[in-house]
Amino acid sequence: MNENETDSPEFNRRDFLKSSSVTTLMTMLGGVELFAPAVQGAEAETKSSGPKINVAVIGLGSWGRELINTLTVLPQANVAAICDNYPSALKRVGGSAPGATQTEDYKTILADKEIKAVFIATPTHLHKDIALDALKAGKHVYCEAPLAHTIEDARAIASAAKAATQLVFQSGLQLRAEPQRQFLVPFIRSGAIGQPVMASAQWHRKQSWRLAASNPEREKALNWRLSKETSLGLIGEVGCHQIDQANWFLNQHPVAVTGFGSVAFWKDGRDVHDTIQAVLEYSGGVNLTYNATLANSFDADYEMFYGSDAALMTRESKEHEKKAWLFKEVDSPMLGWEIYATKNSFYEETGIVLAANATKSVKAVKVVEQSPFANTSLWHALDTFLRNSNDVIAAKEDFISTYGTDDLNALNEAILKAQKVKHPAAGYLEGFHGTVIAVKANEAILGGKRIELKPELYELS
Amino acid sequence: MGQIMKTKMNTTSFFRGGIALVGIVVLVLGCNRGPANTNDPPRAELLPPAASTASPTSAGMTRLDASAGSKIRLEGTSIIHDYQAESSLIGGFLEVGSNFPMEPGQVVSPGKVEARGVAFVTIRSLRSVEKDGRPYSDDMDDKMWKLLKQTSFPRIVYHLEELTLKEAPKDKTAPYLFDSKGDLAVAGVTNKLSMPVTVMPLGDKKFKLTGSAPLKMTDFGIQPAGILVKTANEVTIKFEWVVGQKKPASAATKK
Repeated sequence: MNENETDSPEFNRRDFLKSSSVTTLMTMLGGVELFAPAVQGAEAETKSSGPKINVAVIGLGSWGRELINTLTVLPQANVAAICDNYPSALKRVGGSAPGATQTEDYKTILADKEIKAVFIATPTHLHKDIALDALKAGKHVYCEAPLAHTIEDARAIASAAKAATQLVFQSGLQLRAEPQRQFLVPFIRSGAIGQPVMASAQWHRKQSWRLAASNPEREKALNWRLSKETSLGLIGEVGCHQIDQANWFLNQHPVAVTGFGSVAFWKDGRDVHDTIQAVLEYSGGVNLTYNATLANSFDADYEMFYGSDAALMTRESKEHEKKAWLFKEVDSPMLGWEIYATKNSFYEETGIVLAANATKSVKAVKVVEQSPFANTSLWHALDTFLRNSNDVIAAKEDFISTYGTDDLNALNEAILKAQKVKHPAAGYLEGFHGTVIAVKANEAILGGKRIELKPELYELS
Repeated sequence: MGQIMKTKMNTTSFFRGGIALVGIVVLVLGCNRGPANTNDPPRAELLPPAASTASPTSAGMTRLDASAGSKIRLEGTSIIHDYQAESSLIGGFLEVGSNFPMEPGQVVSPGKVEARGVAFVTIRSLRSVEKDGRPYSDDMDDKMWKLLKQTSFPRIVYHLEELTLKEAPKDKTAPYLFDSKGDLAVAGVTNKLSMPVTVMPLGDKKFKLTGSAPLKMTDFGIQPAGILVKTANEVTIKFEWVVGQKKPASAATKK
């Protein structure tokens, strides 16, 4: 099945080839590394466009706090309200969002006409009602990934988002909004690694996931990730991002998944595995092997794509730079620029640094830059959501201030036009597909079995 | 050699970004002859929203309100490449007298016709585009809006003062050819603007006004040299403005 992104503009092969060929030519002519203007990457990254939008964050756990911390450095976000049904959480987070209204009831936020967008960061199994109500209330919605802990809930959310044509819906598969990875999509699809043969990804940490609570009731609510009733485990909470990247890069969905898992280390009564392995089968004989653990942190997390000419590694390093490398086979064709590129050593291999600084760079025929983006993929995802929301809000406001509201069809068309030129990010469809895969992969892991992922499973309606 | 190449790349990159930006600015700012009246009140910001632009229609005049289907495009050039920006939103109204051709092929004598009106474009709706209409760059849009002082003067406004029929159409499918005179206000600067305009009655009291005009950035206080990019001072503004008589509320599509 083809991986068609939700109304997302894509890089195309022509753009990539155009840029790479020019880069090659320039390199051969000049014999230097290709640098874009030194300030351009950083400048483009630090300033965001559009006026401030009043937003609310619903769910103030560790990830909700991370969202708030990121939103507070984005100039177009005004965190106007925060919500959690646990009063102490509100109290703890209040200082990070000074001036924000604090509420235990998300419906208070949805009733506030001044709040245009909401970020849903509650436990996964609580997303559905909030997302549906938010869309019904006319809010732009950023819903964390996975969308839900069941396919039915995910389908309900995605269907509502699809129907809400005047609203921006972005799922939390944040890697899709990151310029570095966006840069690599045409790179890999244009055949730079040769014929893809396999892929792998890992997420290794030494942490329990268990949080301390003041009473049993709170303990259960707080540690929802440790119960299979409410959690999709490591494959859902973490793996869905990396698997989504594989779907995106390989331009297809897996056709089957086999999984294994165990509580190998944290034997504290949890029924969610602390260590898992999964094999996701794609058409054409390409498999993605995935492993994750909470018991060992060796080599943290990364994704590998192996082709007949080269292997490609992506990872978000601690320094948040140099996020991709190319490891070429000795018999692979010369791309032209690689002999001049920066190289890093990994074990006994040497990786050629692939550093992009912006989508625009590809289109502007400027390819390899040595000033990679410094911000996290979350920063880019939230920035993109705010930009897209701003654009849709502006399209609606400008139309009404120009023509009034007599011609509703034309108004809808104007908004749809703004939706069509959104900046690339994971929409409802990617969110739905990612959730479907996470649910089925978790099922395979829990049962230690192979499950076929038939095409109809990915159909939204 | 290497250093030269590096410099070259940088300059090119800068041009690519800066120019288009400047271009758009030029497009909008650059205007026709006539001294810039920088002390004029920024009429753009005084203009109320479309719904309330309904100043009472003068006796004997027919009011035609802006409706969807319009398009404005700004085009410019630089030493690197051409650039362009577009918006599909042109608001405002036109009031016309009895000697204005209301139907296709209607016989009207050349000469001055009774007409007045206001057209405006919300600057925020102007977006840089590729030649084929695909979006070009957010950064470019931001810079363009900033140069147009969007926060202080959110609209470009044109006040029509005079309309003269030059030539009646030879058949019903051809438009009427007018000369127009008016004031164009951009970023707090107002200039006189004269340009030919064609009017095509579409039937059902709907009209499409089409025109284009060369503009100069410097007429609106924009100095291309100050932006360090060799950009042509001249830009062209092209528009298709659809106006029509509003139907009574009961017949409108309002739900």
